[in-house]
Amino acid sequence: MTYNFAFLDEDTKRMLRRALLKAVAIPGYQVPFGSREMPLPYGWGTGGIQVTAALLGPDDVLKVIDQGADDTTNAVNIRRFFHRVAGVATTEHTAEATLIQTRHRIPETSLREDQILVFQVPEPEPLRTLEPREAETRTLHALADYGLMHVKLYEDIAQYGHIATSYDYPVLVDGRFLTSPSPIPKFDNPKLDRSPALMLFGAGREKRLYAIPPYTRVESLAFDDHPFEIQRWEHRCELCGSGESYLDEVVVDDRGTRMFVCSDTDFCSGRRTEAQA
Amino acid sequence: MYVAVKGGEQAIARSLELLAEARRGDAAVPELELAQIRGQLRLGVARVMQEGSLYDEELAALAIRQAAGDMLEAIFLLRAYRTTLPRFGYTLPLDTTAMRVRRRVSGTFKDIPGGQVLGPTYDYTQRLLDFDTAVAAEVAPADVPLPSDMPRVLDLLDAEALIERIEPGSDPEPVDLTREPLMFPADRATRLQNLSRGDEGFLLGMAYSTQRGYAESHPFAGEIRMGEVDVVICPEELGFVIEIGSIVLTECQMINQFHGGNGVPPQFTRGYGLTMGEGERKAMAMALVDRALRCDELAEPNHAPAQNQEFVLSHSDSVEASGFVQHLKLPHYVDFQAELSLLRTLAAQHARHAPPPAPQGEAGRGCSGSEGTSLQDGLTPPQPSPASQGREPTEVCGT
Amino acid sequence: MMLAAFADPVFDSQRSFRELLQAMARPAMPRPLPVLPPAPAPVAPAAMAIMLTLCDATTAVWLQQPEDEAIRHLRFHAGLKLADRPQDADFALVTDPASMPPLDAFARGDMRYPDRSASLIIQVAAINPAPVDGAHEFAGPGIRETETVAIDGLPADFWQQRAALAALLPLGIDLFFVAGQQVLALPRTTRLLEG
Repeated sequence: MTYNFAFLDEDTKRMLRRALLKAVAIPGYQVPFGSREMPLPYGWGTGGIQVTAALLGPDDVLKVIDQGADDTTNAVNIRRFFHRVAGVATTEHTAEATLIQTRHRIPETSLREDQILVFQVPEPEPLRTLEPREAETRTLHALADYGLMHVKLYEDIAQYGHIATSYDYPVLVDGRFLTSPSPIPKFDNPKLDRSPALMLFGAGREKRLYAIPPYTRVESLAFDDHPFEIQRWEHRCELCGSGESYLDEVVVDDRGTRMFVCSDTDFCSGRRTEAQA
Repeated sequence: MYVAVKGGEQAIARSLELLAEARRGDAAVPELELAQIRGQLRLGVARVMQEGSLYDEELAALAIRQAAGDMLEAIFLLRAYRTTLPRFGYTLPLDTTAMRVRRRVSGTFKDIPGGQVLGPTYDYTQRLLDFDTAVAAEVAPADVPLPSDMPRVLDLLDAEALIERIEPGSDPEPVDLTREPLMFPADRATRLQNLSRGDEGFLLGMAYSTQRGYAESHPFAGEIRMGEVDVVICPEELGFVIEIGSIVLTECQMINQFHGGNGVPPQFTRGYGLTMGEGERKAMAMALVDRALRCDELAEPNHAPAQNQEFVLSHSDSVEASGFVQHLKLPHYVDFQAELSLLRTLAAQHARHAPPPAPQGEAGRGCSGSEGTSLQDGLTPPQPSPASQGREPTEVCGT
Repeated sequence: MMLAAFADPVFDSQRSFRELLQAMARPAMPRPLPVLPPAPAPVAPAAMAIMLTLCDATTAVWLQQPEDEAIRHLRFHAGLKLADRPQDADFALVTDPASMPPLDAFARGDMRYPDRSASLIIQVAAINPAPVDGAHEFAGPGIRETETVAIDGLPADFWQQRAALAALLPLGIDLFFVAGQQVLALPRTTRLLEG
């Protein structure tokens, strides 16, 4: 048997497309959708894959990254999947892509208005670890009652002197919905704010999708006396010398020697190519 | 010189080759044929069909072979295939009263009209490994054929008005959980659908917990029956019913105690389980969990895990659970790096402020280990706390 | 004889959807739809493109002017079911805006599920993205600074009605305006700035 273009049948794509339009119309709100069972496991990007499949056309150039890198095995596998079921062009260059599916990072290269970023989301509900009951969290969102989260962050400060959340750092979208940015490091949170590119989020196992439209206010929660801050490194990337990018720490020998390199492999190789030119 | 890891694509290709080789095993041994799996591993085939939500013995056998006998992987394969299938129509509700019974037992009456029928069951085997090559004994035909009409045991109680009555046709049209997201609170039809797709091991544990005091349901196995049931459709354009085949089902009806209340006389209540193929353990577990989940409707105290529908229904699915548990093996090094840097910052801060060995040290400086900074009123925006006076250095990675 | 629908259903829907998505993500900015399928009166081809892209047997569509041929066409090509009342509609097609029902006749969702709300497709006389007479200035998510556009042919109190709904956010209804080949979206979050 042969599969439809981009695997999903047209009824399913229409269902996803309707949900995506509502998601864009209600920034940060989690739209329930009839998530399908995909040929890749739940937790491995099925939400992002379904969103990408609903968007994808023959004119698209697709980039898939995991941890900022194009060649991590799960990114390779998802790219292979779309090449197989949609035959679309793929790229590793952020600037060449029309669609970028990502897990855990936002590219360092600024995105443009003609690009769409699709996030894979394991847990769409930012309040879930504080309140496991869906019926309850729905009500809290309805009331915009985010006291639980403020309490949690404040307890961090009381206990550690810092907000002890370093990734999946909660944001308020358009001043209304508390939203999970997916498990990106908080380093990437500022890129969500007033982004020129549309950002779509798919959670397949939890059957929710949501969106942050372009040029939308996205605030990382903070307190006046504990403003939001991102990670900084003492090191520069040892490959390209960047001092502004998010760095991976690599253990290079059995004495525990570390080196630091860009997590965004395309950004890093682009800088090295430029330096050689 | 460090070189960023490349070659994910090649690694995957090699891994697939290794997998194919490992799956096939010793090439000198003939490969399993699907007919062998269908015929000789029928209970495995039934489980894969049931939790895969697709009644197709051939495909289930193929999935089991492809998954090298890993049932959860086989279920996943079948589900991923099912998701792309077009829907041509919906069958009418199956009539299990008209089942051509091959097994039927009741724990509630010594004898019942139609009799107790053991059928093919492991119940009274003695679990001794059979080292001799098993040659199936000739099965002697019964002296008299089974009666074609086997009334349901629970209908006997119904006639006495001793068990709750559920009027035929009173069920709401069920949602299709493979097309619609699960929403809470979920009605009984939706819950049963979720349970029937649920992992047998999970349901078994949940059901067992209800017998050990985590929910009170006093179950009796009213009737368990297994056999063939006709599948009937009624196409709108034709306006009459057509039988399109028959499938094997296992049905379990539990009888549970209920103390009455809300103007209802004391009567037994029901728990229901149904599986495709022979799946008696699963059907029984499902019936117990179904009954436990009816606690709100029956105004019973809701305190046990098996009564908590969000807990049970959100965690019953093996494909969801297996995917999410196993996704932890994917790279998480970006987030781990973020946690590392935070932890190093906190540890450095702790070292700077750590009290000297004497217990009268400078405690309560907001480091881990200090206590007493409990939150009084979290709903108002917090004021600067002692812990935040004198700004700590911001997080710096890689120190 | 029945008119055709999308010549290439898979890719025509995909291209149309991408424009609708961009329209919704960048409100008050008109965009050309890539494919205009045949459409029986009073349905405009651009409105037909939207319905073929988004509607099917699982969506209830309310037609302001339920002409037989339009119904036959939509049933045949999209399999959609009709809603008798505006409040039951997932999608509503307004073919004569001057006499359209008030906006509060349509579903706005509920507080826990604000997505269970109507999307309106409104066929208007013209969409003019210029600071002409009757133009309005808009701001909100998706809009960098402000967008100015004139939408011709709406009831006189249309903008007051819409402003009244804004108090109910995140409840609301989402609008697609079509004129010729153009589509312009106004999600519930887009604010009309007072002149």
